[in-house]
Amino acid sequence: MSMFDGPKPLNTAKSDQASTDMESSGLTQGSSAAAPRPNRKFGAWSDRWREMPRQKQWLVLIPIVIVAFLLPVVNPPFITTEPGNDWPLACQLMAIYALVAVGLNIVIGYAGLLDLGYIAFFAVGSYTAAMLTSPDSAFIKIPYLWTLPVAIAVSMFVGVLLGLPTLRLRGDYLAIVTLGFGEIVRILATIIPAMKGQPGFQNVGHPPGVGADGIPIFANSNGTPWYWLTLVILIIILFLVGNMERSRVGRAWIAIREDEDAAETMGVPTFKYKVWAFALGAGVGGLAGALMGGQVGFVNNQKFDVVTSILFVAAVVLGGSGNKVGAILGGALVAYIPLRFTAIAEYKFLIFGLALVFIMIYRSQGLLPAKQRLLAYGTKAYAAVRKENSARVRKNGDPGAPGGTAGSGLPPAAPEPNAEGATS
Amino acid sequence: MSLLELEDVSVHYGRIQAIHNMSFTVEEGEIVSLIGANGAGKTTTMKTISGLLNPSTGTIKFMGEDITKMKAHIRVVQGISQAPEGRGIFPAMTVLENLDMGTYGRKDRSGVGEDLERVFTLFPRLKEREKQFGGTMSGGEQQMLAIGRALMSRPKLLLLDEPSMGLAPQFIRQIFKIITEINGQGTTVLLVEQNANQALARANRGFVLETGEITHSGTGKELLANPAIKEAYLGVG
Repeated sequence: MSMFDGPKPLNTAKSDQASTDMESSGLTQGSSAAAPRPNRKFGAWSDRWREMPRQKQWLVLIPIVIVAFLLPVVNPPFITTEPGNDWPLACQLMAIYALVAVGLNIVIGYAGLLDLGYIAFFAVGSYTAAMLTSPDSAFIKIPYLWTLPVAIAVSMFVGVLLGLPTLRLRGDYLAIVTLGFGEIVRILATIIPAMKGQPGFQNVGHPPGVGADGIPIFANSNGTPWYWLTLVILIIILFLVGNMERSRVGRAWIAIREDEDAAETMGVPTFKYKVWAFALGAGVGGLAGALMGGQVGFVNNQKFDVVTSILFVAAVVLGGSGNKVGAILGGALVAYIPLRFTAIAEYKFLIFGLALVFIMIYRSQGLLPAKQRLLAYGTKAYAAVRKENSARVRKNGDPGAPGGTAGSGLPPAAPEPNAEGATS
Repeated sequence: MSLLELEDVSVHYGRIQAIHNMSFTVEEGEIVSLIGANGAGKTTTMKTISGLLNPSTGTIKFMGEDITKMKAHIRVVQGISQAPEGRGIFPAMTVLENLDMGTYGRKDRSGVGEDLERVFTLFPRLKEREKQFGGTMSGGEQQMLAIGRALMSRPKLLLLDEPSMGLAPQFIRQIFKIITEINGQGTTVLLVEQNANQALARANRGFVLETGEITHSGTGKELLANPAIKEAYLGVG
C-alpha cells in the first residue's frame, strides 16, 4: 500500500522531511523508531539514554546535578560572565529562566497552546511575593518562604480565570488574547494604587538565615544561595512535570497538541486538560516570579513587558518545544548570552532573531527535539496477549492459529458476551 | 428502538445553515451510507453525531437516550467512535501509541490487548509498522490507523468520514471490504462518502444528501438503481 501515497494531512515540515527520509532509506520493519527524527546526533543520545537502565541513568545524572550545584562556586573561565556581570547572580538568572521555560513548556510544548502573555503569571508571582513581604505594602506580612506556595496558588487561580473564557479559542486567536492579557497585568500594576506602579515595592522578603558577618545569607547580591534554592525547586518541578508527562494527563496534552478534534473524539476532555495545562504552567511561572522578586528585592511594573514574554517563548522554542531538558537549556541560554557577551547585549534581540531563524532552518525542532515516550499501555497488553497465544499454540500443538486470529476468539480470551466472540 | 436516531436536526455555522431539519435512523447491525457532493453537509452531519458540533434544533438519540447536549468525549464512552475526515491521526505518535489513544475513554483496560489483536488482524500492515510514527505513513496506512484507532474504544456505532478519500481505486475496494468485515463482527457502521458506488453497494441502507437535506433514501441497491442518482453521483447517464 505504500506505493499509493495519498495526500498527507500534515502541516509540519518535520514530518514531511521525516517521511522523505523514510522512503529514501528504504524502510525495513522495526527500524523505524530511530529513523523519523531529523536530528540524528541528539536523537541517538536520547535513544541511548532511554535504553539505559534506571541505575545507570542515575550514575549519569548525579554528576550533572553536582556540577550544576557547583557552577556558581567554581566560576569556570571562558564560561564565566565576569568581569561585567556577577557570575553567581548570572547563574541565578539562568536558573530562573530555566524554571520559566519548563513551566511555559507545559503550555506550549505539551498542550500546544501558544501563550504569548506568560510574563503575566511571572508578574503575578512576583507581586504576590512582594505584597506579602515588602514593608511598602499594606497587606498582611508572612515569611518569604510561605509566599512561594501562595504565589503558586494565586497564579494558578489567575491561570484558570484566564483559561476558562479564552481556551475556547484556538491557535492565533488564543495567542492574541494571551498577548493582551500579558499587557493587562502590567497596566493593572500601574493603575491600581495598592500595586504602586513604578515606585514599586522595596525590600521584598527573603528566606531566613544570617551569615557570620551579620549579612543575611539570602542577600540580594549573594547569588549562590539563591541559585541553590532555585535549582532545588527546579529539580522538584522537573520530577513532577516528568511524572505528569508520562501519565494520562501527559498523553491527553500531546493528543490535544497533535489534533484537538481527534483527541476529543478519542474521549479526551480537551477543554478540561487545556485549562489544566494553563493552570499548571501558570503555577510554575508564578513560582519563578516569586523567586525572582525575592532575589532582586524590588518589584515594580517596569520588568514585565511583552518583550520579556516573547523571550520566554523564544527560550522554549530554542530549546525544543515539548522537551523539558531542552526547555532548561533554552531558558539558561536566553539568560546567559546577553550576560556573557555584554558588549553585544544591546543587540540581543537581533542575535536571538537570527539564532531563531537559523534554528528554524537547521533544527526545526529546537536544540533538543521532543520525543514523547507515552505510557503505551497497549504495548504491554499486547505483549501479554502474544505470549499467551504462543504458549497456547505450543501446548496444544496447534499451529493453525494464524497470528492469533482464532486464538483471540477462543472462549477463555473473550469474557465479553457481545457479538465479537462469535465472529473470527 | 433504533441505535441512532436523528430528529429534525438543524446545524448552523454562524448564520449559515448547513443542515436542514434532518431526520434519519440507524438500526443496530446495519451499514448505512450517507452520500453527497462537496458541501452537501456530510461531514457536518458526522461531526454533529460525534458531538464536535452542536445542533441548533432537533434531538439526537443513541440507544434511546437523548445525547443532544452530551460532550463529544463522553459520547465516545457511550459507544460512538469516529474516524475523522482527513484521518486525524496523531502524527508524532507511533502507530501503537495512536491505537492506545483510542482506548483513552475506556474503563475496562482488560480487553485492550484483545482489541489490539483484532485491529492487527484486520490491518496486518499496522502491526508491521507498530513502532513507526503516524505522520510518516502513506495515506492508505493512515486511513487504516484512523479506523483501527476508532475501533479501539470498542464502539457500538462506528462513524467513518470519507474512508476512501485520496486513496487509489485498488485500495478503496480493500477498505470497503474491511468495513464490511468490521460490520460482520457486530459493529454498526455509519459512513459518509463521495464514492457512491462502493458506499451504496456495501450498505444496507443509504441516504443522499443535497445542500443539507436528505433527498433520497432507500436500500443500497434501490439507490444504486435509481436513475437520478446514477446520473448525479455515479457518472452514468
